[in-house]
Amino acid sequence: MTTQSLTIDAHEPGTPPGDLAIWFFIFAELLAFGIFFGSYAFARAHNVELFNQSQLMLNRASGAVNALVLITSSYFVVRAVAAIKQGLSRQCANWLGAAIALGGVFIVIKLFEFHAKFSAGISLSTNTFYMFYLSLTIFHFMHVILGMVILAFVMAKARSGGYSIEHHTGVETGASYWHMVDLVWIILFPLVYVIR
Amino acid sequence: MNKPSQPRFVRPCTLIWLTLIALTGVTYSIGDAGLGGRNVMLLVLAITLLKGQMIAGFFMGLRKTSLLWRAIMGGYLIIVGGMIAAAYLMGIN
Amino acid sequence: MQYKSQAVAKPYFIAAIGLFVGQILFGLIMGLQYVVGDFLFPAIPFNVARMVHTNLLIVWLLFGFMGAAYYMIPEESESELFSPKLALAMFWIFLVAGALTIVGYLTVPYAALAKMTFNDLWPTMGREFLEQPLITKLGIVVVALAFLFNISLTILKGRKTSISLVLLLGLWGLAVFFLFSFYNPSNLVLDKYFWWWTVHLWVEGVWELILGSLLAFVLIKVTGVDREIIEKWLYMIIAMTLITGIIGTGHHYYWIGTPEYWQWFGSVFSALEPIPFFMMTVFAFNMVNRRRREHPNKAATLWALGTGVMSFLGAGVWGFLHTLAPVNFYTHGTQITAAHGHMAFYGAYVMVVLTIISYAMPMLRGRAANSGKAQVMEMWAFWIMTVSIVFITLFLTAAGILQVWLQRVSTTPLGFMAAQDQVALFYWLREITGVLFLVGLVTYVASFFVGGETKEAA
Ligand code: HEM
Ligand code: HEM
Ligand SMILES: [Fe+2]
Repeated sequence: MTTQSLTIDAHEPGTPPGDLAIWFFIFAELLAFGIFFGSYAFARAHNVELFNQSQLMLNRASGAVNALVLITSSYFVVRAVAAIKQGLSRQCANWLGAAIALGGVFIVIKLFEFHAKFSAGISLSTNTFYMFYLSLTIFHFMHVILGMVILAFVMAKARSGGYSIEHHTGVETGASYWHMVDLVWIILFPLVYVIR
Repeated sequence: MNKPSQPRFVRPCTLIWLTLIALTGVTYSIGDAGLGGRNVMLLVLAITLLKGQMIAGFFMGLRKTSLLWRAIMGGYLIIVGGMIAAAYLMGIN
Repeated sequence: MQYKSQAVAKPYFIAAIGLFVGQILFGLIMGLQYVVGDFLFPAIPFNVARMVHTNLLIVWLLFGFMGAAYYMIPEESESELFSPKLALAMFWIFLVAGALTIVGYLTVPYAALAKMTFNDLWPTMGREFLEQPLITKLGIVVVALAFLFNISLTILKGRKTSISLVLLLGLWGLAVFFLFSFYNPSNLVLDKYFWWWTVHLWVEGVWELILGSLLAFVLIKVTGVDREIIEKWLYMIIAMTLITGIIGTGHHYYWIGTPEYWQWFGSVFSALEPIPFFMMTVFAFNMVNRRRREHPNKAATLWALGTGVMSFLGAGVWGFLHTLAPVNFYTHGTQITAAHGHMAFYGAYVMVVLTIISYAMPMLRGRAANSGKAQVMEMWAFWIMTVSIVFITLFLTAAGILQVWLQRVSTTPLGFMAAQDQVALFYWLREITGVLFLVGLVTYVASFFVGGETKEAA
């Protein structure tokens, strides 16, 4: 009987990069968002007028800028993985730092957006559209923060030379999670801000 | 010791990054122009799924994994996209 | 048994099993009252029996958790318990306080009990599962604090493993969320709102951490699979539990006067709650399939696998059945709820406590495993009790579906009591199956008294 481990440091061909455990999370989280997206779509179907009307009040530009911010940040993380595969710990940490900084930009833009909505007296109970808009974006917002925390840990370890050409599962693990955060926004933005 | 050269996935990922930026611009412009309706929805959705597939395949590196993983992610995108499209069409009637 | 102080677990386990028997007897009394309304009237009214049934359940599970912790923590920390004397003292305090409370329920009318125990000064009584008089509640807090103090110090001075840390987190969470039982706002919406912070966040939050930890401990012992692998599973299960379970509280906030968005939050997040339970099942089977050794205690392995399956069925499947708001609109507070409550409590918490008892009791009695004969008997008990609860669940589900139909869906809806009369057949079947459950339980108790050839503990 062979004993397989869930930890795959010597990477098995065919499995995704990073620790297998993170992929369970990624898919569980995607499932949660997926159900949320579906709920939004079907709730909209029962209330097209209201959704179309309320959608006009959103700040589409800030949503789009945030999409660009996350895409770019994701790309930086790709570069960080590339760097560590060459054994360049410092560069890896720097790319991660840049990615985290962009995460910060996302947070700031989002906070402005939330501030504008809240000071207009909008809340979860305003109407179904705003319930979805707020809960989807806040839920995603918390994932951005979690992703930044994960990347920060990885960056600190990379900076202190904790990863090498042979052992860098941690970098790939953090990277995979961050791409998931990006992927969710890629769907959320058109769904909530654009499609009408 | 000779240094390994830059991994081969960097160049394609750079192209993907630029493409994603461009596609986001397209989506934004559609929104900005206030376009709507079934065909526009399908276009925006197609762009979105394409972007999702690019992130999953290239950034997340799933294109180099076994069929199972690609099918899970591909299936996810198709189901979410399908739900959105189906619900939208329901709303028209 | 590797550490002397682990022995304090034994009285906890014995008390747990004793109270379990009491719980089932009161279940049977109530089951009969469902169909023979004046059975034992006026000596034991239904509401009193119900209170005794559910409170005994909670208290014996708590005894089980504490016994489990006293057994596991020295072994995990590789260090004797900080104070075995304190643990024993707390055992007697908890047992006497528990017994007095039950006697109080049975001998004094509830309102009089409330008056006697100063409920008017600080009203906390009268809410399901949390009916205990203020004094008992305070007693529980004292016992819990002494227990946590004892356990935490043991862990601090010894080896720190993921299993013991997850257990500690679960136990602290258990104590913290119990504090909401002291908060009883007179606004009925807020009352219910915070009541669930104890009840839901227990069984679908912090208790799940305890469940995962106990299961992981027993699986390491009986399978010999690497700790690293087991810990990774444990972390994933815990994370999924918290992601889904916390906001999943919303599935109790559909119709109690809370804002409408809870219908969405509750539905979306609680729909994902089966995932950690499913992972638990896969976890148990996976580890047993990869076992590196053949542990002589086959019964413990069976209980561990049973916990995996039955918690998924009871909590995961039967929970999902009525968790979406549009479904719950019809099923709220019907026999469907009771069906789910029985299978989930049995499948997850009763079974995991019996798992750890099954593993630890032989050790506490100085042997690696019970004799083959005793184990066969224990496994019979396993099957009888498990099959009984499955049928109790099925009968209640049938009763529930009919009830929903007759009372809430039909164009000529019946009143509550009229609908109950129509489904009496299922209540009879439930009662008969309940007797079978008792047979299983008696078999279980008897298996402790079967002798035979045993191996010395390693
Ligand atoms: C081991 C874990 C669980 C236990 C012990 C448990 C136990 C219970 C109990 C005793 C009740 C009845 C409470 C009352 O009103 O008196 C209840 C209600 C409920 N449970 Fe669970 N449960 C568990 C897990 C779950 C899960 C995972 C789900 C969802 C997927 C779920 C969904 C529900 C729902 C929706 C209700 C409310 C029913 C109603 O509206 O009447 N439960 N649960
Ligand atoms: C280990 C086994 C058992 C467990 C874990 C258990 C647990 C519970 C729980 C959690 C409740 C509260 C349910 C709710 O609020 O919806 C309850 C109520 C009840 N149980 Fe049990 N029980 C067990 C065995 C039995 C047996 C064997 C019987 C009798 C045949 C029984 C009869 C009842 C009755 C009649 C109620 C009251 C339901 C109502 O209020 O309508 N239980 N039990
Ligand atoms: Fe719940």
